[in-house]
Amino acid sequence: MPVHDALPDANAMPIREGLARELARAWRRLAEPGTWWSGAERLALAAEVRAARSCALCRQRKAALSPYGIDGVHEGPGTLPEAVVDAVHRLATDAGRLTRGWLERALGRGLAEAQYVEAVGVVALLTAMDTFDLALGRAECPLPAPIPGEPARARPAGAKRNLAWVSTVAPEDLLPGDPNPYALHGSKNIHRALSLVPQEVINFFDLDVELYLKDHEIRDFGREYRALTHPQMELLAGRVSALNGCYY
Amino acid sequence: MTSVLEGTAADARVPHAAELIEFCEAMLGTEVAWQVRARAAVRAALGPAGLADAAAIVASFNAVVKLADGTGIPLEDFKAEATRDLRAELGLERFNRGAGEG
Repeated sequence: MPVHDALPDANAMPIREGLARELARAWRRLAEPGTWWSGAERLALAAEVRAARSCALCRQRKAALSPYGIDGVHEGPGTLPEAVVDAVHRLATDAGRLTRGWLERALGRGLAEAQYVEAVGVVALLTAMDTFDLALGRAECPLPAPIPGEPARARPAGAKRNLAWVSTVAPEDLLPGDPNPYALHGSKNIHRALSLVPQEVINFFDLDVELYLKDHEIRDFGREYRALTHPQMELLAGRVSALNGCYY
Repeated sequence: MTSVLEGTAADARVPHAAELIEFCEAMLGTEVAWQVRARAAVRAALGPAGLADAAAIVASFNAVVKLADGTGIPLEDFKAEATRDLRAELGLERFNRGAGEG
């Protein structure tokens, strides 16, 4: 995203208390050791997301009829393995044209499935936070310092590859000892997308329900929870989804 | 529907639809001057709290698409059935690469 002109009082915007709390928690979680990446590695993933926005190779691929016929080197910090950098740049700039075939090839080049799923979570979380700042006219937040520690490296025993391109955990397949990613925000397919790495489900949707609405609030048309009405929110949601070519 | 598909607000019965549609498009674009104008228009129409909540919705839906696109998670069968006509009108199936090649 470009450097943007801030509104004069953009940093004094009235951010709801719940949203401010979850934004602060999301920034902290971005820097904490995850399940398969350390805090420093998660921040390196985040740095690649930002670098992708001005990456010449990503621009070339985005403009091409197919993004799979153009080789090259991505511009960015480059501290992570090439397959990881490529995945993050594609997720950040052209996610709508990812395919199962591409992912299978990426996994064959040494990118572990669970690491990829966590990377998707990091891309989504940073995209949400950076988009929010941009839309408010606030300057992009500097990435925080990494929080030391080791990744948990725990794969849910009940995970199966039977729903998506990646393994997921159905609610009925949660086994004793597996963290339950569905306790707070529900278990629709979109919640199951990152369930191979349960903490990433929690990280994303703890923030998302404050950005948008909690599941039960979405269809509660008898009450407005935000400064916008339900129809206004759905208009925004629909237009953003259409612009992103989102099938979900 | 036309507002969502084509970004025209003329037929929208939603208050301040034009400002909100413009806001989405500007924020997903790269033109800084357009973004400044779009923010100011939403703020003038809906106040600072309205601008903050509009920014939050754009952020949410600009991010959640990464989960769907990055993992190939399918739409639930009951949702696909319930929204079949709507999805046809929107042309959304062309984005569904659940069995994706490439």
